[in-house]
Amino acid sequence: MSTSARSEIFARLRDINHQASAERIELDRQALGSAPVPKPPASEICEAFLVNVLKNKGSADCVSNRAEAVAAIGHYIYSHFRSHRLVAGNDPRLAAMPWRDAGVLPRFGRLEVGEPVALSFAQLGVVETGAVMTWTGKSNPAANNLLPEHHIVLVDTTDLVPDMEHAWGRIKQEIDQNGPPRGINFIAGPSSTADIEGQLVYGAHGPRKWHVILMGKVPAEALSRARTIAGV
Amino acid sequence: MEQHSETFLDNASAALKNSAQAERRDVIAAFAPLIRSAAIEGFDEFDNLRKHIKRVRQHSLDHLEYYLGQFEYQAVQNGNHVHFARNSDELNSTVLDICQQHDAKRIAKGKSMVTEETGLNAFLQSAGLEVMETDLGEYIIQQAGETPSHIVAPALHKSADEIRELFQSKHDLGPRELPETVDLVSEARDILREHFLQAEVGIIGANALIAENGYSMLVTNEGNGDLCANLPRVLIVCTTIDRVLPLAQDATAMLRLLVRSATGQAQTCYTSFYSGPRRESDLDGPIETHFVLLDNKRSDILASDYREMLECIRCGACLNHCPIYSSVGGHAYGWVYPGPMGSILTPLLTSLEQSSALPNACTSCGRCAEVCPADIPLPDMLRDLRHEENSQKLSAGRWRLGLKVHAWLARHPKLYHALTGLAISTLHLFGHKRGSFVRLPMAGGWTSQRDFPAPQGKTFMQQHQARLKRIARQQNEH
Repeated sequence: MSTSARSEIFARLRDINHQASAERIELDRQALGSAPVPKPPASEICEAFLVNVLKNKGSADCVSNRAEAVAAIGHYIYSHFRSHRLVAGNDPRLAAMPWRDAGVLPRFGRLEVGEPVALSFAQLGVVETGAVMTWTGKSNPAANNLLPEHHIVLVDTTDLVPDMEHAWGRIKQEIDQNGPPRGINFIAGPSSTADIEGQLVYGAHGPRKWHVILMGKVPAEALSRARTIAGV
Repeated sequence: MEQHSETFLDNASAALKNSAQAERRDVIAAFAPLIRSAAIEGFDEFDNLRKHIKRVRQHSLDHLEYYLGQFEYQAVQNGNHVHFARNSDELNSTVLDICQQHDAKRIAKGKSMVTEETGLNAFLQSAGLEVMETDLGEYIIQQAGETPSHIVAPALHKSADEIRELFQSKHDLGPRELPETVDLVSEARDILREHFLQAEVGIIGANALIAENGYSMLVTNEGNGDLCANLPRVLIVCTTIDRVLPLAQDATAMLRLLVRSATGQAQTCYTSFYSGPRRESDLDGPIETHFVLLDNKRSDILASDYREMLECIRCGACLNHCPIYSSVGGHAYGWVYPGPMGSILTPLLTSLEQSSALPNACTSCGRCAEVCPADIPLPDMLRDLRHEENSQKLSAGRWRLGLKVHAWLARHPKLYHALTGLAISTLHLFGHKRGSFVRLPMAGGWTSQRDFPAPQGKTFMQQHQARLKRIARQQNEH
């Protein structure tokens, strides 16, 4: 690196910028407060999250517990691939699921080229945007988000947060406890492009399909009401 | 990137004559504003959000030295190498050095207008590296040997037929039809997937840098930037020094403006934050990561009256709403950044001499300022640049003379009103029966496209004076 470039740029900025102490600057930023957040499309949190998932062109399913989740995952992969195989990250929550009951054969680790389906257990679901969030690590190799044809994401209802500000609250806890994850990935839909004549096509580089399974205490009819609101 | 802004008028004339491209521009100009409006509808606080982000951006720029230093410290703590570059040459050679240190031959590159600005691809290619753009739009124009026509959607000027022919001639895959858009996307996906898996270095841009934790933010729909950031063993993030924001929540709050204004979504498919190299627990990711932070006259802009231009978040909304951009397209502007934001940035980042036509590529309609999520007074800045052009005698002599005459007349209101009254009466006399003129002396360009409405009586000031007299008379009568 050219140290002269660094020192010249910083000297220039020092010359231009208002001089103030770090405390003053931090206080000034705090005084600006937080940003307004868009209103959710429904008052119930699961329903609002599902509306946004569907608007993001994801498909969605709701289950009450791990046994139902395994059955739903098994049904999804069999109906799309006539197979019971999938790849999942080394997430202890996934390892503890009753896979045999549904005849699903997961391989835990990083997706290899040619494997069509990956399953992730999201750290968070963000109601504001209908995004799921994973951070990279043993539980979530980045390849599992990016390389499969279909990406299935399991979200626990207790991990839903209303907006991005709350999402950062949870990420900061992780950074404080375990250090900063290498990558934090918010995913809100299948990979898409409109670069040819503005026509929307899915599967530009990453998954062609994105399937979200919401697990936990989801109110009955939440998914059907969400479908009505999202117009799908 | 080579600049052709000095021939803007010729470029624009040529663009207008290409009727197929002009038709496509018309379609885009019709639908792009609609998707933005739909995304904002129902978000009652959009304007308050705009004001909030403006205050945060102003605060960040007021203390850029502090926040840039904080970012650098955090990024180094996270295991990154942080480099600074005063200009394009320094950025390009820093990136090449890193590639050569790793004996890299193949580079996978995400969309980055900053590296378009520095001409990084050509520089790396001249050193023997294979550089592949991986954003579909950028890939298309790279294969065609063209430059981006839009900062968000770089290949929208090309038709599907043109892209089909391009792929059939460039990809050695034997005879095939590629009848649908989805087939074209699929073919590019397969070719680029292969490149991703082989590339030794990934290069991406950043939509924001976060001072408090040293993360960079990357926003894409395709996921190509994420593949660049995760698959090759070395990652280089190239961006400019003004992208720093204090807090993580500032970056995602800005995102609420950016994505709605750019593509009409609430969030892009992929919003990613990268802190540095692979951790012990990671099963993938780069083993070495670099930031190259470019000034390239940003500090000059910060010190100037145009500093608000650094608040631009590169959404492209001003392009999509500009009647000039919609008519002539992005290539006419002759450099990286087109439309209203480009007509300001290009003179500031290159020179006013080289790009003196651009600030005049404006009808002062004000739509760009209305839709700008960063609330930048774009028409005012364009006017100030025109003023500078006039002072520096960069504009044509007859324009300056015309302005001088107008300015003199404006300072003599009685004469001004008398002359405009005379002109309006004359036009009324000759045109009121027909209602409009199909030809006018010295306005052939205008009337070649549309009729000039004939004045229907007196000037505004004459009517206003008459009204005042009438009111005074009525008051006297009472």
